[in-house]
Order: sequence, then structure tokens, then C-alpha cells
Amino acid sequence: MAVRLQVAGVGKDFLIPVIDSVSFAVEAGEFVCVLGPNGCGKTTLLRIVGGLEPPTRGHVLLGGEPVSGSGRHTKKVGVVFQEDRLLPWLTLRQNVALVLEPLGVDARARRATADRYLRLAGLAGFEDYHPARVSGGMRQRAAIARALAIEPDLLLMDEPFGALDAQNRRIMQAEVRRIWRETGRTILFVTHAIDEAVAIGTTLIMLSARPARIRAEIRNDGRVERGKLIDDLNTLIMEEVERQQGTSSMS
Amino acid sequence: MSARHWATRLHLPTLGAVALILAVWAALSWRYGAYVLPSPLAVARGFADIVVSGEIWRHTAASLGRILVGFGGAVAAALLAGLAAFLSRTARGVIHDFLVILNSTSVFVWIVISIIWFGLSNWAPIFTTFMITLPVVASNIVEGVHNVDRRLLEMGDVYRLSGRQKFTSIVVPSTLPYLVAGMKVGFGLALKVSVVAEIFGVTSGIGYVMNYSREILATQMVFVWALVMILVMTATDTLVFDAVSRRLDRWR
Repeated sequence: MAVRLQVAGVGKDFLIPVIDSVSFAVEAGEFVCVLGPNGCGKTTLLRIVGGLEPPTRGHVLLGGEPVSGSGRHTKKVGVVFQEDRLLPWLTLRQNVALVLEPLGVDARARRATADRYLRLAGLAGFEDYHPARVSGGMRQRAAIARALAIEPDLLLMDEPFGALDAQNRRIMQAEVRRIWRETGRTILFVTHAIDEAVAIGTTLIMLSARPARIRAEIRNDGRVERGKLIDDLNTLIMEEVERQQGTSSMS
Repeated sequence: MSARHWATRLHLPTLGAVALILAVWAALSWRYGAYVLPSPLAVARGFADIVVSGEIWRHTAASLGRILVGFGGAVAAALLAGLAAFLSRTARGVIHDFLVILNSTSVFVWIVISIIWFGLSNWAPIFTTFMITLPVVASNIVEGVHNVDRRLLEMGDVYRLSGRQKFTSIVVPSTLPYLVAGMKVGFGLALKVSVVAEIFGVTSGIGYVMNYSREILATQMVFVWALVMILVMTATDTLVFDAVSRRLDRWR
């Protein structure tokens, strides 16, 4: 089941404040893109939401359950990192099947589920390949298949196509959009590429330069024309980059 | 394939060098006499003798038996150290410090101590081998455990793999190449060290028979047994360790 994600007053300090205070909600089944200039704390925000990092301030609720802290919530979270993070000694099928083990799925069902999601990610026929034998784009697809295979309540994606060339990026964006429509998962997708965010997200959250705050939250429902939206966001991000460089040159 | 390629594959340059050395060796032997330097022919004859008489197997087996116990024990202890290093950061630090100490202890220290503790018995070379190879194998394993990709472990956390699942599917496979490399170096060292320890107190083994040959002035047999050592080393390297490494690398 897709669930609602609520981020309430979340902030993070690493010696200096990285995230000032960020609050937003992602409704169940929504595809939210978090945008922002490089180094603004997007990845940190995603890691906090995923429970990989505790917030300094605020809290994250997933389907009403707190994410951070020692107590483990019962929701399933799939993460696609910037790197594929596949185990190189396992085949693509074994990589996907592995994450089904903690869910108590038996071996045959694990195999069947792994094959189903690899097919969904366009990897039919490559189930028995080791990661080193397929392209970077295919490895990232396998990582997406792995994240989807657990049928996550929330899917987190951290610039998953950053390492791909422009051609593969566009293909993968379309694929993720299709997979989102077919599976109806709640997705939080972090990127610094405006065109990417506009192409796939239903809601766009623009963060300010460090320390991050929400600069703008935009419904990407086609009411604003796409080209104009990209222009507006470009203007916003340029302002933020200039502001960041201005403050850092002063300090 | 070019002629040069085949020449390299057949180790022709090495063989050429060997032929040159044999020629120089024969000349020196003729100049200084068989006691100081036996001729290549005498060594070859001696080698044939121990193969025919079966003596080669008796002493090689005795040495390998001791190595297997001492080195096997070291590998087992190193695996335990690796497991402890995985489970606890504190243990990793303690083990690391002990390995530094062990690594800087001379072979001779262990030979003398083992004779004091175990007398003139099989256990002296076994213990010496154990103490010398343990730090080599263990440092490799501990380094392997230390170098496990944290990003993969984090992936394991995201998908809630249990400690045991992370150990078997992430830590063990990424540490295996380090283990094999450590065992390869460790085994070579075990052979060299146990042979030295065999000089004292035992009445079988390559080290014993080498020293005995020296005492009865059969210098050619010293060379013969040195040759046996080289053969054992090369055989285990290519037949065991290289084969295992290749198997481990299949997924690359």
C-alpha cells in the first residue's frame, strides 16, 4: 500500500546547518520531485526520510508512524541510490530476490517476484547476468526493480540517473513514470535537473540554497505550460545559486 | 599468434636464463668441487634417487602434515578474528594491535620458545608455523572486513537484512578474495618457516633431511631438497590458489 509521507520541521546540522527547516507532505500515490541547487541538502533530506540519518530537528511520519528514532516503523521503504549498490557477486535475479528474504517470502516466490520486476524494468532475459556484465543503465534498472520488488509503501530515489548519458536518462525517466502509473507507489525523487523533475513529478518542491528551506512548491498538473515552468524554475535556481555564491564569498 | 607470443607462453626467456645459469653452475662446480657446489648432474641424479626410493614422499608428507596442522589452525584462528572484527569495532582495534606485535616477532623467537614448551617433538614446528602465519592470514581477513563497502551494508539496512544475512551475502563474499590472498602468502611462509623449525628435534621432514644431508657432507642432497621445496610451492600456487582465485573472479 502506498502511504502518506509527512515531513514536519525537519532540519539537520553537520557542524554548519545544512537543512534549516523543511515541512511538506506527500499524499499516497503521489510522485514528488525535490529540486535544488547542488549541495543544498537534497540527499541529506532523502536520507532522513529513509531513516538512514537522524534529523537534528523535526520529525518524519510515514503512514502516521515516526521514521527516525530507535523504534522501527512497519512500513516498507525502497531506496534507489545514486549508485546501483547491487552486490557484484550475485546475478540480477539473486540481487532482487535477496531483499525479499527478510519479508519471509519463500525461495520459489522470491524467484518469481524477482523475475516479474526485472521484466517490468525491461530486463527480461538478463536475470542470470552479473552486474559487471550489463551496462550502467541496466544496473540502475535492476536497482529500481529491487526497490519495487518489496512493494514499498514509499519509494525514494536519489538522483538515480545522474550517472547515465542524456539518451538513457530520457528512456529511464519515461520508464519510471510508466512504472509509477502501473504500480501507484508514493515516490520521492531527488534531482538537480529541472527538465527531469518537470518531466516526471506530479508535485515539484524547490529547495533554497544551503541551509535548505522550501523555496517553492508547485503542482505539475499541466495548468502551467511546461516550457514556462522550466523557465521559472531556472530563474529560481539561478537566484539560489547566486545567493549561495554571494554569501560564501562574503564569509 | 605471433612467434613472440608463443615464446612468452612457453616461458622461453626464463628457460633460456635457466640454461645459462646451469652452464655457469656447472663451471663453478668444476672449479670449486662437489662439496661446496655439486654439479647439476649430481643434483639431478640425487633427485631421481629419492623419487625412486620414495624418500621424497615420506619427508614431503611429514612436512606438509605439520604445515596443514599449524597453518590450518592459523587460518581457523584468523577466521575467528575476522568474525570478531566484523561484530565489534573494539575487537577490531585490539586484534589490529596484536597483529602488529605478532608481525614484528622473529621466526627464531618462536622456534626457541616452542622447543622450550614442546621439547623436541612435532609440536615445535607446528606451533612455530601457527604463530608465524597467523598474523599474515588474520591481517588480510581483518583488512577485508574493514574494506567491506559501507554503501552495500547501508543497502542491507534499507532492505532490513538481518545481521546474519548481511554477513553471509555481503561481508563473506567481499572478504573472500582477501582470505585467499592471505592464505596464498601464508602457505608460502608456512613452508619456509616449518622447514627451518624442522632442523630441531624431529626426524622427518624436508628441513630435517636437508640439515642431515649437510651433516653427512652430501651437499647435492641439500640442493635436491631445496628443489623439492620449490616444486611443492609452485604446485600449490598454481593448482590450489590460482584455481581458487579464478573461480572467485568469475562474476567480474
